[in-house]
Amino acid sequence: MPNQTEETRGTTKTISIRDLNKFYGSFHALKDFSIDVEAGEFLVLLGPSGCGKSTALRMIAGLESISSGTLQIGEQDATNVLPKYRDIAMVFQSYALYPHKTVAENIGFPLKVAKTPKAEMDAAVRAAAEQVELGELLDRLPGQLSGGQRQRVALARAIIRRPSVFLMDEPLSNLDAKLRGNMRAELKRMQSELGITTIYVTHDQIEAMTLAHRVAIMKDGELQQLATPKEVYSQPANLFVAGFMGSPPMNFLEGGVVNGEFGTEESRFALPGAPDTAHAVVGFRPEDCTLVAPGAGLVDARVYTVEMTGDLVLVTLELGGAHLVVKMDKDFEIDTDVTAGIAVQPDNLFLFDGNSGDRVDWTGPRS
Amino acid sequence: MSTPARPHRSIFEPPAIGQMSLATKIVLYSVLIGWSLFVLFPVYWLLITSFKEATAVNEGPFFIPWVDFQPSLHAWKELFVIDYADTLRAYFNSIIISLAATALSVLVGSMAAYALSRVEYAPNLITILFFVALLALVAVSVGVWGIDWRLAAAVGVALFFFLARAVGNLYQVRLQNGDILFWIISQRILAPIVVVVPIYMMFQSVRMLDTHLAIILTYTVVNMPIVVWLMYDFFNSIPRDLEESAQLDGATMIGIFREIVLPLSRAGLAATTLLVMILSWNEYLLALFLSTSRAQTMPILVAAMNAGERGILWWTMSVAIIVMIIPVVVLAVILQKYISKGLLVGAVKG
Repeated sequence: MPNQTEETRGTTKTISIRDLNKFYGSFHALKDFSIDVEAGEFLVLLGPSGCGKSTALRMIAGLESISSGTLQIGEQDATNVLPKYRDIAMVFQSYALYPHKTVAENIGFPLKVAKTPKAEMDAAVRAAAEQVELGELLDRLPGQLSGGQRQRVALARAIIRRPSVFLMDEPLSNLDAKLRGNMRAELKRMQSELGITTIYVTHDQIEAMTLAHRVAIMKDGELQQLATPKEVYSQPANLFVAGFMGSPPMNFLEGGVVNGEFGTEESRFALPGAPDTAHAVVGFRPEDCTLVAPGAGLVDARVYTVEMTGDLVLVTLELGGAHLVVKMDKDFEIDTDVTAGIAVQPDNLFLFDGNSGDRVDWTGPRS
Repeated sequence: MSTPARPHRSIFEPPAIGQMSLATKIVLYSVLIGWSLFVLFPVYWLLITSFKEATAVNEGPFFIPWVDFQPSLHAWKELFVIDYADTLRAYFNSIIISLAATALSVLVGSMAAYALSRVEYAPNLITILFFVALLALVAVSVGVWGIDWRLAAAVGVALFFFLARAVGNLYQVRLQNGDILFWIISQRILAPIVVVVPIYMMFQSVRMLDTHLAIILTYTVVNMPIVVWLMYDFFNSIPRDLEESAQLDGATMIGIFREIVLPLSRAGLAATTLLVMILSWNEYLLALFLSTSRAQTMPILVAAMNAGERGILWWTMSVAIIVMIIPVVVLAVILQKYISKGLLVGAVKG
């Protein structure tokens, strides 16, 4: 790689975000957003569209101004620093390739504007192209490439100058499902080889779970939970996170807790040790429950539909107004409109405060 | 048949020539040839008229040289040998004025369009109204009450800043880019005939009548709205991601404009340039008012030929019109290769 990487470049950096806010007029797009990203970490910002994740990323890049709060990249306060001085490379959802430049010119553009000598630049372009397996396509124009190839050009352009931070804004969402899986694996491999701090925005929980060291889940401009993928799945901070992670999402029953017993309008079951509240939500994941004979499980419900997905059977049941999904083995069979019981191990039950939505650390049968 | 018929053909896709029946071909080609003759005939008529003597025009119509009439070079001689000074002056006037006005309006207009498409403006309506009101007040005080213009201007500027600061912030009605854009195009809605007298008087008072600069400035202003409107649309079609990506890669503002925006807007710039050039080249009304002799342009020269004491000089007029068409055709041919579609293919998505 070029010599310039020795001193300033190539040293991956921490990112420290403190109380970042973004206002568009009176619209509060990002609310007191604080995260510390470690050097070399792969952090994923996950959330539904409009949750502020892209805004946060663009503020880190310097493409949006920071209404209030501070941003520190490495030792440098970057709050009001122009994008080009932040030593960041970004991969856009649209790839943002220059359509009038060849693949080689696209990849070499960051070095060209840095006035790198021609020979050095050519070598770097070839090396970057090799890394993303684009070797033979250097003379093509972006318009002559497939979606996956364009994605690779965008990646090569990002890695060529060894930035201290990578930002990626839904880079895989324009690819078809199969290609997305391949690129996801390659991306993960590449990031761990380069060891460059990466912030990755997506709405796809599978991407988040598979790629991230830590996941930051966002909703309505607010950070909901920042934890490892495993923690986010097994200890969701609140109802939103619990309902967002997992496919199909977690089942919820609304009711109240009285004397260690959880009751809905239709049924009641024991939740020993749970604090009394008038409004509580009990959750359990489709993969953590099974169907049993009526009366033998936690609750009884009527079978609404049965879906065969190949490797398993998804049974949807109706209880009151709510739909509950149970994942069963692929050779499980049941008729619709019959009543069945749903059995859940007590330590697979989550309890949430019905008003705030926060998970109640319920030390009863767990622990 | 060598090419197999495609299983699906959309309604609007014509069959290949080779697959047409003879009758269809005959009808198709007759219509095309007929239309071509219809379109090209005036040009042909112009060309032969330029070689006709007065008698051949007056006793006509004659259509075929050497058969119907004897062609002569007298009209060409008259314009390019006898009166060559007048002709060439008008010709070069037209070239200089059109080129300068086109260059100026495309340069300034496209910069305005780029700014309007990339930056969000929010000018305060009250401030603008103050500005207009004070401008009118200064004009009246100088023109009607005879106050020294330096004094009036200084007081006007001072009052503007005072009012803008003191009152401007109380009323937060703000214009947006769309309003600014509409205001610019609304300048073109107004017919030129409406403003031609004020423009005449304005240039008269600064003693600039019959100068190139006066016509160039007027054409620039008149064409600017068209440039802004067309280029605004064009710049909007260039994805912002490209510029943002270049920005992150370390490119400067100038670098981004030169490396990314300019190459991608070549087609739009070429089309706009051609349009504005043709409009300036053919403009008659404003030139009629603003020029008398030194700055006279070709359209004025041509028009003058049907008002002389010798009657309407069809032959010299034809010559003038032919030489007038040539530069525009040349320009169109040069710019045509830039006006190609699909320049943005591959920029974003697939």
